[in-house]
Amino acid sequence: MPLSRRNVLALTGAAALAPLLASCGSDTGRDLQYWAAFSDRQQRDYFRRERVDAFQGTLKVRLTVKPTDSIDRLTQTALAAGAGPDLVQAAGPAQLGAYAAAGYLLPLDDYARRYGWESMLAPWAMAASRVGGRLLALPGDFEGMFLVYNPATLERHGWPVPTSRAEFEAICTEAKAKGLMPVAAGNADWRAATEWWVTFALNHSAGPDAVYSALQGRTPWTDPVFVDAISLLNDYYQRGWWGGGVDAYFTNTFPGLYAALAAGTAVFMINGTWATTEIGPYFGAAAGNDATWDWAPLFPLRDGVPAQVLDLAIGESLSINAHSRNPDATAEYLHFLESDPQRQARGIAEASLQPAPVPLTAADFPPTVDERLSRLYTWLSTPATVGYTTWTFFPQQTDTDLYTNFDKVITGQLTVPEYLAGLDEVFRGELAAGKVPVAPAPTGVAR
Amino acid sequence: MTPRRRRALLAWLFMLPLVAVNALVVLGPSLSAVYYSFTDWSGIGAAKWIGLDNYVELLGDAEFRSALWHNIQWTIFFLVVPMTMGLFGAFALSRIRRFRLLFRVVYFLPYVVASVVTAAIWKNLLSPDVGLGATLGVNFLGSQALSLPSVAFINNWAWWGFLVVVFLAAMQGVNPNLYEAAALDGAGPLRQFWSITLPSIQPTFVFLGLMTIIWSFLSFDYVFVLTQGGPAGATDVLSTLLYREAFASLRAGYASAVGIVMALISAVVVAAYLVIRRKRGWAV
Repeated sequence: MPLSRRNVLALTGAAALAPLLASCGSDTGRDLQYWAAFSDRQQRDYFRRERVDAFQGTLKVRLTVKPTDSIDRLTQTALAAGAGPDLVQAAGPAQLGAYAAAGYLLPLDDYARRYGWESMLAPWAMAASRVGGRLLALPGDFEGMFLVYNPATLERHGWPVPTSRAEFEAICTEAKAKGLMPVAAGNADWRAATEWWVTFALNHSAGPDAVYSALQGRTPWTDPVFVDAISLLNDYYQRGWWGGGVDAYFTNTFPGLYAALAAGTAVFMINGTWATTEIGPYFGAAAGNDATWDWAPLFPLRDGVPAQVLDLAIGESLSINAHSRNPDATAEYLHFLESDPQRQARGIAEASLQPAPVPLTAADFPPTVDERLSRLYTWLSTPATVGYTTWTFFPQQTDTDLYTNFDKVITGQLTVPEYLAGLDEVFRGELAAGKVPVAPAPTGVAR
Repeated sequence: MTPRRRRALLAWLFMLPLVAVNALVVLGPSLSAVYYSFTDWSGIGAAKWIGLDNYVELLGDAEFRSALWHNIQWTIFFLVVPMTMGLFGAFALSRIRRFRLLFRVVYFLPYVVASVVTAAIWKNLLSPDVGLGATLGVNFLGSQALSLPSVAFINNWAWWGFLVVVFLAAMQGVNPNLYEAAALDGAGPLRQFWSITLPSIQPTFVFLGLMTIIWSFLSFDYVFVLTQGGPAGATDVLSTLLYREAFASLRAGYASAVGIVMALISAVVVAAYLVIRRKRGWAV
């Protein structure tokens, strides 16, 4: 080829474009790819600094931040194309099962032995990370449920923090009579929020043993113990305790509910650990008031249910992409993310990051931590009976029907037996199809 | 090659990029949706062929019937209320000279505001705690009876101004001599509207009716932002049902079947329109 001016220009252009195009590719070859989503900029910056840049492993980690509401679909599309990040994030066990069935994930059993993950992480969360007997993920973070209240509200009315159904119902009755909202609840912002309270009823009225038995397919969901639990919750709604009334329940927003709690017009809120990242702006100096919040464990709603039931969930699962070119280095980074209780505690204290399910003690937290948070996560690390959150331990369609159809129970479109019969039918189908996530036995295995 | 054939080839060459893009982003996904509607598919990984099972399940699905019924109610509302408002609004505007442009802009403005923004504003306006709902003591979006009409009202608020502008454009094409002759014969504004305006803009009227039906069966954004199909399914339409089945229940195969039914409904409407158009000889 003669070296004309045109050819020189073309070659120069191509030489300049080559590295540019290479850098646009999703795989730079020697970097670990990790896609993650964050609730705010502070969390993102903290994670990049403390969990990405601070990692001194075999390979460097390249973090790509994705939108919270689309990271799942972006990941699915990339995995289906045989691409995607080395470290794959999934929204808990139900999605994990679908990824596993598609062959997108690498089994982690060998790495678990090498790094000692089984003894490092909570058994309930490790059990829920198995599909078909193989470990296909590590629990990236975990969630727990509790009772939130404003201490000044209870003090003003002379109410104790409830530790039993009788105390809870007495306060709710009195609060409703005084024109207060006994339980701040609503699903206008998140229709699936209804499942938080169904989870509460199932685990604290029917009890973890009954739920576990149903998840194994041994007890039908139409069993009287579940009829009683759902009827009790429905009764609370019909009395106007949940959200102030059925119509209001459907239009109550989370900001409004937090504000009501701070103002003392709502008494309790039954919520999960994610609430600790949202509640701050409504209390104290940030909100221009002197209100405070605190939390307490949820209580049994029936005799025979253990006093301490921890309703636990996996917020995100972390796996290794079956197409990863660097599985060993990815496992090394996964170990970095999951290990070191003090690193997990610092994440809670400094950026409200939900921790991996490693046992935490008060000594793990830095002195600057909000005492309520260290107390909360220390409590969630105590040995107690596991409560089965529906969004972690129930198969996907059963879970969706569980909250969409419970809304029809409280509006009178379905009776409780009809609701449970429908739930049982869908669950049986998913059980037969092998779609039910692995659940640990309930007794004493939270740690 | 004859000049005629060369021209035809050239035309196809110009169309080729569009046809290719269309095949890639419309035809391909459409055909795959037809295929997936006959499968048990989570949306992830391989799909399992199950024949007509999804369609059989649709027939017995109370949620599907409820969503379809809401779509029918929605369609009837949008065929009657905004079409009537649009027609009379355009006719009123066609009778004035001053401020016509201003009114056109004012009517059209809500249409260009993003639906998410409009929905969020109205959600606050109708709030039972701080908005109109609090003043009137009515929970518009929390009530089983009022939620669907409320969402339709909000969507109509943004929609009817668009119809005004389109109808007005059609009315401006009507021969003014017809109105003069009618006025000389003693016809009042209403009579002129009924006997001259409506027949003259009939193709536009029918076309917008057709599009209203199609868009009504595709409506999603206002419902999703305002109620997510709630309370307790009171505003669930086919598109929100499809979304929930595909992304919450991970039943993309079943959701595809819902999508195919939606497409078939639109296809029937388009076919009916094409038959009418051919019989009447309309250009629109």
